Amino acid sequence: MHRLYVIPTIFINVVIIAIPAILTMILAFYRWDGMSTPVFVGLGNFEALWTDRVFWRALTNNLIWTGLFLTIPIGMGLLAATMMLIARRGSTFFQVIYFLPIIIATAITARVWQGMIYSPITGVLGLLDRYGLELTNPLTQVNTALYGVAVADLWHWWGFLCVIFFAALRQVPQEQVEAARVEGATFFQLMRYVLLPGIMPTISLMMIMTIIWSFLVFDFVFILTQGGPAFSSEVLSTLAYRSAFYDLAVGKAAAVSVIISLFGIVATIFYIRIQAAEIVE
Amino acid sequence: MKFLFTTALVAMGLSGGAMAQENVDFWYETANPDQQRWIQELLIDGFQTANPGFGLTVDYRGNELDKQLRIAMLSGSGPDVVFTPGPSYVAPMAQNGQLLSLEPYAEQFGWNESILPVFLEMGRYDGTLYALPKTYETIGLYYNKTLFAENGWEVPTTLAELEVLADTMMEAGIQPFSAGNSDWRGANEWFVSIALNSVAGPENVYAALTGQIPWTSEPFVEAINTLNGWWEKGYFGENYFSIDSGEQPMDLLATGQAGMMPSGTWQFQNVPTYFNQAGTEPGFVGFPSADGAPVFALGVGSTLSIAATSDVPDGAAAVIGHIFTPDFYSAMGSQWQGEWNMPLSDLSDVMMADTVLPLYTEAMANLAQSVGEGSYGYTTWTFLPPATNSYLINGIEEVWLDQITTEQYLAEIDANFQTEMGEGKVPSIPAR
Repeated sequence: MHRLYVIPTIFINVVIIAIPAILTMILAFYRWDGMSTPVFVGLGNFEALWTDRVFWRALTNNLIWTGLFLTIPIGMGLLAATMMLIARRGSTFFQVIYFLPIIIATAITARVWQGMIYSPITGVLGLLDRYGLELTNPLTQVNTALYGVAVADLWHWWGFLCVIFFAALRQVPQEQVEAARVEGATFFQLMRYVLLPGIMPTISLMMIMTIIWSFLVFDFVFILTQGGPAFSSEVLSTLAYRSAFYDLAVGKAAAVSVIISLFGIVATIFYIRIQAAEIVE
Repeated sequence: MKFLFTTALVAMGLSGGAMAQENVDFWYETANPDQQRWIQELLIDGFQTANPGFGLTVDYRGNELDKQLRIAMLSGSGPDVVFTPGPSYVAPMAQNGQLLSLEPYAEQFGWNESILPVFLEMGRYDGTLYALPKTYETIGLYYNKTLFAENGWEVPTTLAELEVLADTMMEAGIQPFSAGNSDWRGANEWFVSIALNSVAGPENVYAALTGQIPWTSEPFVEAINTLNGWWEKGYFGENYFSIDSGEQPMDLLATGQAGMMPSGTWQFQNVPTYFNQAGTEPGFVGFPSADGAPVFALGVGSTLSIAATSDVPDGAAAVIGHIFTPDFYSAMGSQWQGEWNMPLSDLSDVMMADTVLPLYTEAMANLAQSVGEGSYGYTTWTFLPPATNSYLINGIEEVWLDQITTEQYLAEIDANFQTEMGEGKVPSIPAR
């Protein structure tokens, strides 16, 4: 009888996730404009992507993005969380401050960065320029556009990791921390031998999720640069969106989406294996 | 109890009223509060008064209307009146049987006589009429008349004069072209359209659109090289990717920080606000060409059709019929310039309000004359199929930023175009 409880969940998963996912996988092997009858093209969409320089640019950008988000926000989050653990005074206040950007709608955050910070006319960069400090809007340069978008996303993201890590750090047995202190451990020794091992499951979960999220990134890129200039900040999801809704190449968009999913699946398998190993231990 | 009875009676009254009146659904894109008020008063109320048998509901769907519409049409749940962003969107819909033939209604409402033939031609697919252009537009050169007078500058009449003037402006620390694309990457194609029509010429563009010559032909190489030359000389300024495509360029122009602005007639809606604020006088001319005669590139910003699945096709046709009348043209055009510019063949009954800028009516008259003489040019968003146009917009940035050459850019445009032409996705191109 109790098995009936899973029926609503399974129903929702099948309707909302499984069927569209299977249809997307099937569509990746068709040429379809979103309106007419799809035409089977075998691996044609994947072959087209193989020779498409914009696809490789987008894939490279996703890898750079993953690298940035696996290091900078996790590093900042860990550092700030540890600080709050050691200096407990004011930690609630700082948690709220660090967490605040994540509850602001992405569209608003992105527009604030675009119009009030980066803009040479209405933004902080424009103001600095008027005081003689010339800074170029990073979103307008081929070499910096992706990083300009990443900074805005990092600002909104790292505080979330900080709060998660702080919550995990508070679960580390206090006796271990005090024992390390009694033994004369330095701050770095405390981190290296007590705190980090204590929250390693949380860190690995966040890293796996970061990989998955990094391949799904869309909102900040689309609002701030729409993948430009000259495709320099294009990522796989913006490429899929443009293919489906501007080029009317839904099959190609489905092929890109399948590739995005492959990275997610690899990360998920990796995570499940880590989990399984921990359970055996 | 009395309240319950009253409620039941009101509900019965409402349902009775609804049964007597068939409702027409019309999905519209974005409109600000003033514009929504004009739609309510002039379109909805005006239509319902003239057609008591039908009701009209206008639903504002935002900038992503075309994407919502495509999915809704696929599932057969779209609106009755289908609003597309241009003829290139009509071809695939007509191809897949999602639109109703307008031929019987063209007879009934006299559209074959009341609408300029070129525009009827653009709404055809395989010889059948599926769409009417809701608004037509052109691109030209706005300039700051006050700034020109102060500096003794003449309005350029050839491309050579334009370049000399632009160089002079740069030496004076004034940005020659006011432009931006931070909010709308599609703005890039305004300048590509200008280059194709003013440098390569409308005859060559027509030949390429009809498959007679490839897009890699010499005139197009020269056109893109010229545009790239303007970019490299700095005519578009340093902040092209940072400022928006609408109000900020108009502000730069009106305040004299920029001297000229290549843009479309839709920008007339921003002219009074910024020029009145700056206390300067605006000017607008056709964009000069290599041989001097300005080219008015023809654009259709949106079209109206009837969904094949509509259960009130007569009502939907009546709405379109109401829009294509001189009375509606006069009333809406007097309030909202550039957005409801239906291609009526006879404008003698149209009476615009005194508040409408003479510059605007003059620009539209010039375009109408070009269309009448068959000397008009072609805007890319109106005549190119979707994937070709999408690449044209994004790829030009690759040329500007030295990522690819002009030849590579045109080769990719041509490859996309030939594929889409083979798939029947090129919109109808009226004969010259």
